[in-house]
Amino acid sequence: MGPAAAVTLEEIMKRTLCLILSALMIVTLLAACGGSAPAAASSAAAAESGSQPAADASSAAAGDNNKLIVGLDDQFPPMGFRNDKNEIVGFDVELAQTVGKRLGMEVVLTPIDWTTKELELNGGKVNVLWNGLTITDERKESMLMSPAYLANAQVIVVQKDSDIHSLKDLAGKVVGLQDTSSADDAYAQCSAFGTESQLVKAADNVSLFNDLKIGRIDAVVIDKVFADYYITENGEGKLRTLDDQLADEEYGIAFKKGNTELADKVLTELAAMVKDGTAAEISKKWFGEDRVIFKYSK
Amino acid sequence: MDLNYVMATFARVGAGIGTTLKLFFITIVLSLPLGFLITLLERCRVAPLRVIAKTFVYLMRSTPLVLQLLFIYFGLPLLPGIGKYLELQRFTATIVGFVLNYAAYFAEIFRGGLLAVNQGQHEAAQVLGLTPAQTILHIVLPQMMRVAMPSIANETITLVKDTSLMFILAVPEVLQFAKSAVSSTGKTFPFVVAGVIYLVMNLIVTWALRRIEKKFEY
Repeated sequence: MGPAAAVTLEEIMKRTLCLILSALMIVTLLAACGGSAPAAASSAAAAESGSQPAADASSAAAGDNNKLIVGLDDQFPPMGFRNDKNEIVGFDVELAQTVGKRLGMEVVLTPIDWTTKELELNGGKVNVLWNGLTITDERKESMLMSPAYLANAQVIVVQKDSDIHSLKDLAGKVVGLQDTSSADDAYAQCSAFGTESQLVKAADNVSLFNDLKIGRIDAVVIDKVFADYYITENGEGKLRTLDDQLADEEYGIAFKKGNTELADKVLTELAAMVKDGTAAEISKKWFGEDRVIFKYSK
Repeated sequence: MDLNYVMATFARVGAGIGTTLKLFFITIVLSLPLGFLITLLERCRVAPLRVIAKTFVYLMRSTPLVLQLLFIYFGLPLLPGIGKYLELQRFTATIVGFVLNYAAYFAEIFRGGLLAVNQGQHEAAQVLGLTPAQTILHIVLPQMMRVAMPSIANETITLVKDTSLMFILAVPEVLQFAKSAVSSTGKTFPFVVAGVIYLVMNLIVTWALRRIEKKFEY
């Protein structure tokens, strides 16, 4: 190897070292910027953007009963979802924010992956689950569930001019629902579908509605609240809901098992909101009518 | 589909780009040196260190990254005794998980690169009278990097896409915002936007990596 080649290799090693050093410096700068952001965000009353600052603030406040760290699914309109400005809004979101404001607690909205909700609650990363959480016996065992505050049902949505008018018309049709949802359970328990119906399970609700509009499936089994919202927003005139409903269920709020102090605080305030009509107002804003059914006594 | 809607959707989905890029850069900068360190440990004369290194690589490559993230964030605090010192914040836990996981993959890539350096090179270096340090720095490393670069490029591009796994620890990024947009508007266009964002990011990454590869073409 001549002197020219040796210089080239050495150059490369030096340049690589410089690259690594400068990258490290940039990273340190970024980390410093990221570090100051959480401090700024947690001073905001309600973290609307739900971005990383809020995520960090919720971890830091684990077990801190002065903040209402609300674990929610930001992909479940109208209970909790994001609007055009990426702010987290929804019926449950507004209820939680109102309760927090009235109690003088800081509300940290934390969109979580809904499949990890038990982990988040039990690990103290969030202290309340508030997002269209159906009350089931299993959940009553593993979490501290509130009494029901909203009635829900599983409804069946079909195309406007479809020939399906009741449950028994579904025999032999293609039915779609969301995997592992309570629609799944409701369908399994309902004998009216018979063995001739074909079942399609999808990962999310929007693709079900798209399939329904195209005609790939004949009917969708889904939460009444979601169906009402979707049809108003996107399906007016093209879709309708059957009168027959399945599996009446109820939504509740969940706290970590044993956290009676926070549960009591929040639920008493919610009961007060029902009494003075605030809850009804919020319900009318989102559903057009008062659907809150909450009753609470210590 | 008018321009306003397209711009608005880009703004909405693009809100996650900052977090994605942060995770990407921090992971690359930390996991490459760590990976190389592990490769060296795998060839160490001290047997226990070799075992630790090999076990680490095996564990990290054999379990899903999502599972590792869940374990680091939710599982570590449950360990008796040291648990309460291991409560990490969401983004920190994500970084720890990604760095450890990618370091294991890079360790194997570097190992492959080292194997590709002809034994004859070591002998020639000895004949020329170079010290071990000089041999490694000036002869072995450059050749190893030339062989390893395409694989490193592969992993780097995979990392850009793997950042979307942050959702499991509730750290919002591009794909998560796209999903929220899709479920609240009922339209699938936000997915197109997310796809374009990843394509653009990887275009830049691919171009940069190609230029680095060229430097090792000798």
